[in-house]
Amino acid sequence: MTASSESTHDSDPYANRRRWVGPVVGLLLLAVAWGALSLGAVSVPTGEVLGVLAHKVGIDVFAESSAQAEAVVWGLRMPRMLLAFTVGATLALTGGVLQGLLRNNLADPHLLGIGPGAAIGAAIGSSAGGVQGAIAGGVAAGVMSAFAIRRLTRGASIDPTRIILSGVALGAALSAWAGFIVFAADRATVPPIEFWLLGSLAGSTWRAFGTVIVFVAIAATVMLASARILDIFRLGESDARHLGIDVDLVRTVILIAVGAAVGATVGAAGVIAFVGLLVPFVVIRFTGPLHRHLLVVSLAGGALFVAASDLVARLAIQPIEIPVGLVTAAVGGPVFLWLLTRRRDA
Amino acid sequence: MPKPSIVANAATYRVQGDTLVSDVDLEIAPGELIAVIGPNGAGKSTLLNLLSGDLHPTEGKVLINGIDTSRALPGDLALERSILTQREPIEIPYTASQVVAMGRFPHRRDETNTREQDAEVIANAMAQTDTTRFANRAYITLSKGEQTRVSLARVIAQATPIMLLDEPTTALDVAHQERIMSRVAALAGQKTVVAVLHDLNAAAVHADRMVVMSKGSVVADGGPQEVLQADLLTAVYEQPMVVVDHPFRNCPLVLTAGHQDPT
Repeated sequence: MTASSESTHDSDPYANRRRWVGPVVGLLLLAVAWGALSLGAVSVPTGEVLGVLAHKVGIDVFAESSAQAEAVVWGLRMPRMLLAFTVGATLALTGGVLQGLLRNNLADPHLLGIGPGAAIGAAIGSSAGGVQGAIAGGVAAGVMSAFAIRRLTRGASIDPTRIILSGVALGAALSAWAGFIVFAADRATVPPIEFWLLGSLAGSTWRAFGTVIVFVAIAATVMLASARILDIFRLGESDARHLGIDVDLVRTVILIAVGAAVGATVGAAGVIAFVGLLVPFVVIRFTGPLHRHLLVVSLAGGALFVAASDLVARLAIQPIEIPVGLVTAAVGGPVFLWLLTRRRDA
Repeated sequence: MPKPSIVANAATYRVQGDTLVSDVDLEIAPGELIAVIGPNGAGKSTLLNLLSGDLHPTEGKVLINGIDTSRALPGDLALERSILTQREPIEIPYTASQVVAMGRFPHRRDETNTREQDAEVIANAMAQTDTTRFANRAYITLSKGEQTRVSLARVIAQATPIMLLDEPTTALDVAHQERIMSRVAALAGQKTVVAVLHDLNAAAVHADRMVVMSKGSVVADGGPQEVLQADLLTAVYEQPMVVVDHPFRNCPLVLTAGHQDPT
């Protein structure tokens, strides 16, 4: 099942796969970036896309780009692409982190209820302060939901499936509350319910991206710095304690980071389901289980998955745009089911 | 006399009105191999958890190399003692050597500890436990006995002066039990070892000293010859027991008896 038959000098059977997974994901990201900037209702030729980008960094070597191309590429598609990358990277990273922290391959920030909880705060924040209010509210409520998860998962050995069931129940209830708030709020300022529950990158702005990236950068640094600790958490909490880890402190810090990062993405793009579950599940097959490899590649893989899904959401039924969460769920849902049924005999 | 490795001073552990460990005084010298024995529910594992600093005594105190466990930082304790516990299943495919390498985590801030030293300690720990051969295999695909040896290697790689083992031989066949116990016995001398054991005869062969627990208290503490007495064991286990001499090892041999047998 593993690649242990390859006799490398490296002590790790995944070493060979890791060598090429990075470049491959990198190339795919470039391809998706091209699609995200070039394709759509208005198709902008590659040369003109490059012209706009070069012009923005102060080089005017390419053909003169039209004002319309600049408005579309730089004003609309660029922030949308960057936000898709950021949201995807965050969801996949936090999924991988939660799976390690809770020793549970089914863990995902939205399935655990963090996303739906954040949506309540984001909807409230949105009615008060637009997209930045939504992001701030999402961060606050995301952290609070993460603490709710902390309470649910306290204790040495809780059945992993039960944790997920609790999370799903919690998420359903919190989604309903988010719905009440959205319907009670002013429709002119607060995005509609399908934005919150199904996720969408349609309203992406530079301002939204700029706000989200601040929270995500800080939280991601904390999470990536914890890679070796998460490796040990996978052995079990008592082993982690025996190896000198302050288990409660680590859980608290990481859950705050997860809650803040996920909350920020919900404020900007709603709840985009199954990314955190699906991406690490696929990535671990290429990187092996050590978190320093798994988390970094998941970050890139999540960016790729959400940006590619958003491209599908924009292009599939033109001129209508479908919520990006529908695309990610269509792919991720079956994988989740398969994981659930496989658990019993694993 | 050298400074003791572990001291329990009137250590008591109560939870919700139940006294799991009551008023235990123990002084464990460096290099000793101590077996903690007693029936199920006697408080052996709780005592081990108190000695490891996992649990804090509700009364009295426990010192590990002079550090009061109730006030110790987890990182400091991890440099003094390592623990082999009952394994929880690992769901992702760490290789055996990756698991052993995790034993080096407590030394990450030690500037004199180089990457090469880590690699050497890991290699030695794996050689000592006979696990080098499946270093690159996934831990989850190993047999129970192999997994226990890998876990023991991880505990050895932690390179602490004190090692605590909670039923290290449970679920192993007799050959593996004997192999694990001989390896543990070989480590004693350089390290202080405290092991909770169910197999009285393995304890008799390998331990320098035995501590018998019954209903939360230490009821006997001494060398195997001294502690393994038929009447004591019969009372503690509520099961008729016979003690004879081992045919060629210089230690007692414990056998169970039926209620009708002429004991």
